[in-house]
Amino acid sequence: MIRSKQVTPFGPFARLGVQAFMVILVLASLLPLYNVLSASFKSIEEYPSNPIMLPQVPILDNYQYAAFSGHLLRFTLNSLVYVPIGVALYIVVCVMAGYAFGKMRFALNKPLFLLVLFMTIFPQLLLATQVSKLISIMHLTNTGFGVVLAWVAYFAPFGTYIMTTYFADMPYEFVEAARIDGASPIRILVSVMAPLALPMVATLAIIGFQSMWNELPFSMLILQNESLRTVTLGIAVLRGQYGLRVPILSAALVIAMVVPLIIFLLFQRYITLGVTAGAVKG
Amino acid sequence: MRRRRGLEGDGAVPYVFLAPLLALLAAFMIYPVAMNIVTSFTEWKGYGPWKWIGLANYKTMIGDEQFLASILNTGLMVLYIPLSTIVTLLIAAFLREGIGGWKVYRAILYIPNLLGYVLMGVIFSIYLRDDSALNTAIRGITGSPIHFLISPVLAINTVGLLLVVFLHLGFGLIYFLAAMNGIDKSIYEAALIDGASFWKTFLRVTVPSIRFAVEFWVVFNFIEVFARMFSFIHTLTQGGPGYSTFTLEYGIFIQAFSKFKVGYSSAWSVVLFAFCAMISVAQIRLMQRRDE
Repeated sequence: MIRSKQVTPFGPFARLGVQAFMVILVLASLLPLYNVLSASFKSIEEYPSNPIMLPQVPILDNYQYAAFSGHLLRFTLNSLVYVPIGVALYIVVCVMAGYAFGKMRFALNKPLFLLVLFMTIFPQLLLATQVSKLISIMHLTNTGFGVVLAWVAYFAPFGTYIMTTYFADMPYEFVEAARIDGASPIRILVSVMAPLALPMVATLAIIGFQSMWNELPFSMLILQNESLRTVTLGIAVLRGQYGLRVPILSAALVIAMVVPLIIFLLFQRYITLGVTAGAVKG
Repeated sequence: MRRRRGLEGDGAVPYVFLAPLLALLAAFMIYPVAMNIVTSFTEWKGYGPWKWIGLANYKTMIGDEQFLASILNTGLMVLYIPLSTIVTLLIAAFLREGIGGWKVYRAILYIPNLLGYVLMGVIFSIYLRDDSALNTAIRGITGSPIHFLISPVLAINTVGLLLVVFLHLGFGLIYFLAAMNGIDKSIYEAALIDGASFWKTFLRVTVPSIRFAVEFWVVFNFIEVFARMFSFIHTLTQGGPGYSTFTLEYGIFIQAFSKFKVGYSSAWSVVLFAFCAMISVAQIRLMQRRDE
């Protein structure tokens, strides 16, 4: 993105100043994480007397407590079941709808697409009461499928929007060629267009994963049974638990960070694409 | 945005492709919003029969100190949007100059976006306590800790600074750097030959060239403030101290799920919906303008 030999109005001093500013900013942004990470290895007795420095005698007790008594391990596994199922359904719904909006002719294309766009920003709390009521009517309260359904519905408008713009920018000739070969619409989508859109589908998967993994209000209302909680919900509940000590809460946080960090390291490229998928065109 | 080069329509097939999306949206978005409007005129606990009370919920709401606090707090958050825009644009412009290690900075500053509002809310709830590493250091220097989340005035401003300015910084940097990458390099070369300073180039070349991206960023921030703050407030301050960090979303949550005044919370929802509808229309206009 930026080449080394680039024209720049910065003199050497200005450059050094900016460099120093960036280093300080980045270090400052890491301090809250350092606070949590170091606290997670301190005993409950040590933390109040030594919140700043590294632990004198690092211990793993907090992790053991958070993972088992705090059920963080269980919650992480729950998330690892719900979220991939949610992402798979989300991809199917958004790719189908995005293809219809982006590449097909039908009378209600424009009004329906505007309706979808309009719904991309609805706050969850606007819907929460009725969504939890609906889920209960469908007998899906306290089921993973209930929360998955609510997630897919809530996050689908934005996913549909980015798939629509992607399909709309693809040459129509692909569709025509397949059509002349006598392929059915489903076939054109599944064997021609979706494979061509694969980079965007990967980006869509990442966006869906992050949205669902970090989601709170719907999981809180639908998964009332403790053993079913997601990891994000588990952390929010622990936070509200009166008298829970910082080192244990910290260990729970570190456990909860593991999966998002792995996703980040593996799929950084798609995360970057995901940020710019919605809107950048200069 | 959409090209229509096919000569004939596609018949019923598009509707089949759209069926899952439309069914989900009808059930989980359109129906709930419509029901909110209906129940806002009722007294209802969320179960059992409801009682029509006309505009009584709205009358109560206008005089409710929690509601007024929510509106004021949201307004205060909005005031942080210009700061967020300027800071993010400036840092992106710094990084664009090829500052060493810019990719690492960009990645590290993205971490809060990765971890999400719930984890970041809990992390900051630990970091801003009186007994945290930060406050211990501050106490060592000044003799007393800063009550970030205990003093009402500080609490709301801390939330504003964290949520609007800090948490999206990494997201904004990726976003603006991608937009800046599309600017013709020869413009910068010409500006440099003319002897333009960094600031002049920033104001005259960079910002005008990515005007759309900047406008999107502002709309995005409005969305975050009005429609995405709940999880962060819930884990960081729980609306407190007092009502000093209450927002419309948080108020809806409290009224509906801890006081079981669902009818009343629906009136709040209608107000929130009105704000969001305006933001949504602004966003759609922006998208359409860009695609022309």
